[in-house]
Amino acid sequence: MRILPFRRAAAFGAVTLLALGGLGAMATSPAYAKANSQVTVVHGIPGQAVDVYVNGEKTVPNFQPGKVAGPLSLPAGEYDIALTKPGDAIGSALLKVDNAEVPGDANISLVAHLNAEGEPALTPFVNDTAKLAAGKTRLIVRHAAAAPAVDIRAGGEPVFEGVTNGKEGKADLDAGTVSADVVLAGTDTRVLGPADLDLKEGTATIVYAVGSAEDETLDLVTQSITGLHSAPGGVPSGDGGRADGNGNGNLPLYGAGAVGILLALFGLARLVTGRR
Amino acid sequence: MNSHRGTPRTRPGRALTLVLLGLALAVTAGTVACQSQPADDFGAPAVTTPASSPPPPTAAAAAVAIQDGAPPKSTAADVPARLRIPALDLDATVDAVGIDAATGEFAVPPSVDRVGWYRYGPGFSAKAGSIVVAGHVDSAAEGKGAFFRLGSLEAGDSVTLTGPGGKERVFEVIARERYRKTAIPLDKYFARDGTARLTLITCGGPFDPKTRHYRDNVVITAAARG
Repeated sequence: MRILPFRRAAAFGAVTLLALGGLGAMATSPAYAKANSQVTVVHGIPGQAVDVYVNGEKTVPNFQPGKVAGPLSLPAGEYDIALTKPGDAIGSALLKVDNAEVPGDANISLVAHLNAEGEPALTPFVNDTAKLAAGKTRLIVRHAAAAPAVDIRAGGEPVFEGVTNGKEGKADLDAGTVSADVVLAGTDTRVLGPADLDLKEGTATIVYAVGSAEDETLDLVTQSITGLHSAPGGVPSGDGGRADGNGNGNLPLYGAGAVGILLALFGLARLVTGRR
Repeated sequence: MNSHRGTPRTRPGRALTLVLLGLALAVTAGTVACQSQPADDFGAPAVTTPASSPPPPTAAAAAVAIQDGAPPKSTAADVPARLRIPALDLDATVDAVGIDAATGEFAVPPSVDRVGWYRYGPGFSAKAGSIVVAGHVDSAAEGKGAFFRLGSLEAGDSVTLTGPGGKERVFEVIARERYRKTAIPLDKYFARDGTARLTLITCGGPFDPKTRHYRDNVVITAAARG
């Protein structure tokens, strides 16, 4: 007897789960209902041009280090990505990632770079493409180099501290030019820069630190995502009140009209009383 | 008796004059008042691409665009210098302005005889998008502004923008709209895509002396001529 309520509860639970599961499936919606993702490929391995294969198809031939390719518009799904020496068969790939997951409706950077140990790696970063307030710019800095933890400074002040390989720092700033450099974390030992970055309004500027500290091939690669601008909050362009009359200054006329109507009514009244 | 009879006779005459005079006054005043009503909106800004629509997909995987990863360089300034509107007898200096950090609003130049070009948006020689210039209708401190009579521009009026090196670009008024500030579609007027156009913005409508704000914005859209 004590089992019955439990079973009932279990059955109820199962039904609820099914219902929720169904709802969940609908909420997360199948892949085809989602917009394609924008995938940009960034080459941050010094000294080695590559062919980029996506699902066995050569997509970016002879891709040079320091360059940025794309964006490719890819439906959500799993992708096999391979990098070969230019002209080599896909079987002898330098770097291969199978079943790389691309979510729907995202903006992704796929970065070929060296990891902290100096080995080639392929790392996906999801890019923040949220709209910026008017006048603002977005700076994203990514550590994709065979180098220890670093601080990224703007105008001599650290803005992102202790960034390690595969990690990023991100900030929305006032648009304009900043002088940026990269130092070993917690020190003034400069490993990169300074470089003047013109951070445009309504744009995300993504700066990758690439290469190898040991081989002295450290460099910067940048990618820009435009179109993140918003309109200003308003256009306040008058506080005097003199222009109020430009649209509504007819009061004297209305007055004259009213006097006219009164006169006419008075005359009419006189006419009527006069006839009697 | 005679005088008694005469009075009623002359009375209708005077009364009739009064009626006619009154009617004439009412009709004239009414007509003038109607004619001087705030000008109606006309036209619609030509925007071929809605501001929110994504750029058309590029020719697929055929050729993937390759960009150099060099740090972005500052581009040459494309700043308008003067704005001329013959119909308003206006020739104003244009300042490059951005956003008022305190309010997040358009930083209209405080000096009322100057107008401000939105330096984050399309510039003087833009091939696409809305070049925005805003100016004061008036200010409490300085009186009437450069854009005091902006709302009286008519379709076909010309607006000339002078750019770097004295180059001129002529625009033709195609739309005049008035919106409550709470409802104005600013995204449309600050769009950076669509056909090249010049958008002039000022204040208008009833003035609230308590908040010292106008209720509306007046927006003129002018299409690039040639």
